[in-house]
Amino acid sequence: MNAIRTRALHKTFRTGFWMRPVEAVRDVDLEVKAGEIFGFIGPNGAGKTTTIKMLTGLVLPSSGEAWVNEIPASDPESRAGLGFLPEGTFFHDYLSAREFLDFHGALLRIPKQLRRERIPKLLERVGLSGAADRQIRRYSKGMRQRAGLAQALIGDPQIVILDEPMSGLDPLGRKEVRDVILSLRDEGKTVFFSSHILEDAEVICDQVAIILSGKIVKQGYLDELLGQELVGSELVVEGISESLHEELGRQARRAVVQGNRFMFEFAGESDGEKALDRVRESGGRIRSYVPKRKSLEDLLLEGLEQEKRS
Amino acid sequence: MNSLSRIGVLAWNTYREAVRDKLLYNLLMFAGLMIASSILLAQMQIGKDERIYRDVGLGAIAFFGVLIAIFVGINLVYREISTKTVYTMLSKPVRRWEFLVGKYLGLLTLLAVEVGIMTICFLGVLVWKGSDFSIGLVWAIAMIYLELALVTAIAMFFSSFTSPYLAGMFTVALWITGHLLADLRAFGKNSDIPGLKELLEALYWTLPNLTRLDFKADASAGNPIELARVAMAAAYSLLYSLGLMVSAVLLFQRRDFR
Repeated sequence: MNAIRTRALHKTFRTGFWMRPVEAVRDVDLEVKAGEIFGFIGPNGAGKTTTIKMLTGLVLPSSGEAWVNEIPASDPESRAGLGFLPEGTFFHDYLSAREFLDFHGALLRIPKQLRRERIPKLLERVGLSGAADRQIRRYSKGMRQRAGLAQALIGDPQIVILDEPMSGLDPLGRKEVRDVILSLRDEGKTVFFSSHILEDAEVICDQVAIILSGKIVKQGYLDELLGQELVGSELVVEGISESLHEELGRQARRAVVQGNRFMFEFAGESDGEKALDRVRESGGRIRSYVPKRKSLEDLLLEGLEQEKRS
Repeated sequence: MNSLSRIGVLAWNTYREAVRDKLLYNLLMFAGLMIASSILLAQMQIGKDERIYRDVGLGAIAFFGVLIAIFVGINLVYREISTKTVYTMLSKPVRRWEFLVGKYLGLLTLLAVEVGIMTICFLGVLVWKGSDFSIGLVWAIAMIYLELALVTAIAMFFSSFTSPYLAGMFTVALWITGHLLADLRAFGKNSDIPGLKELLEALYWTLPNLTRLDFKADASAGNPIELARVAMAAAYSLLYSLGLMVSAVLLFQRRDFR
């Protein structure tokens, strides 16, 4: 079953005095299976947020269709089982986190008694128990983000859409959000999140779609997209002679000197292994050797190249 | 039933937001001071004390009510959009019309409380000074409230598609024009300028005619106010407000929140 589906979803905005048309999203087809973590990847301005807003009823499509929980996204009932964290932390900041969650729970028509039970648990889950009765305007950015995340979960939704949930957070904050996303999958929920931070997506996603200039350029399961093939290797060594340094530098795609350490990045696996042998023979010390698989960054760059060519 | 529940939640939150805004308390304080100042003004006049208490009291309730209706009304929807708080609400199974009606009812609740507090101050002055309190005053205050409901609907209508500055200017312009429509119509009837009579006549019948809701002068002078006139004025205000809210919903329905 598809938790989210779009067919030829298209959005053209009219901007400026002359109302010039700008295509923000172009014929986007997505299929997100229930119970998956789906990463919606792309640089800023690629059309991620506009697509998400069409899924959540905030922006009306120019053409095409979208379904959430198999209900057309134009129907407000499609949002009954949906939790949404918008980009940025724009909430009713005159409310405390407890009041904020109570308000959103009431909008979802969750009975008062259930709200009373659920809110402290959610605050605990996002680490805001100690600040539950403090006005949100007195929160740090990370705390606001966590309050927003709790808001998205107040209805115990089956589908959670998070727009740039890790943007602007420190490494600890990002890890906490990643943990929440993973725990949601463990509970059988579908998580659809957008990000321009590729490392985060690579760590937690089952499936990804890469969007560039409003168009999906790659979509699929991470294993299929990235494959098992090695695309390079990275070698860090110490104690090698100047001549070996020059020799390896000629073979490497990139060479960097860090104090008494030398880092070489090789394009193929065999080049890296040959270099490894040369260092061993010369008596140099190997600090690390990392064979590299294709990354999301490589995929994104490929997509950008393709786009430039077309 | 679901809609009613969501509208109630949105109205309560709107009321709560406004109550936590310091501007409201400042306006209420000024209104109280103005009503109290009628005592000083009355001492400067001879023989017309009671009329001054009523004129100033009713005037203050209407003026400060309109200030709140316009300033809160034009920002009510705009602020939710500009601060992006609308995202978390409309991404729930909340219909856009429910959102607008909830905001509107929240502000009407606030205005009811505000008019109630000012009325208590007004009555306090009348009781303290031993002045008569007639049923006409009750009708006048009720009609002030219905005028505020109409002005709020005008503010929400404009703010559903334009900036608060423009919405504020349009609402103030309509409020002033609405109080002058009868005079403008009379002026048109006596004018020789071609087309002016027809234009002013058309404006008289299309723009919100707030003079229909103005019972202050009669109530203050102690003139009798017929129930039929009150009923007609109330129906006029409610129907006009409904029309504006329906128009606001139709405009809001197609809006993109970018």
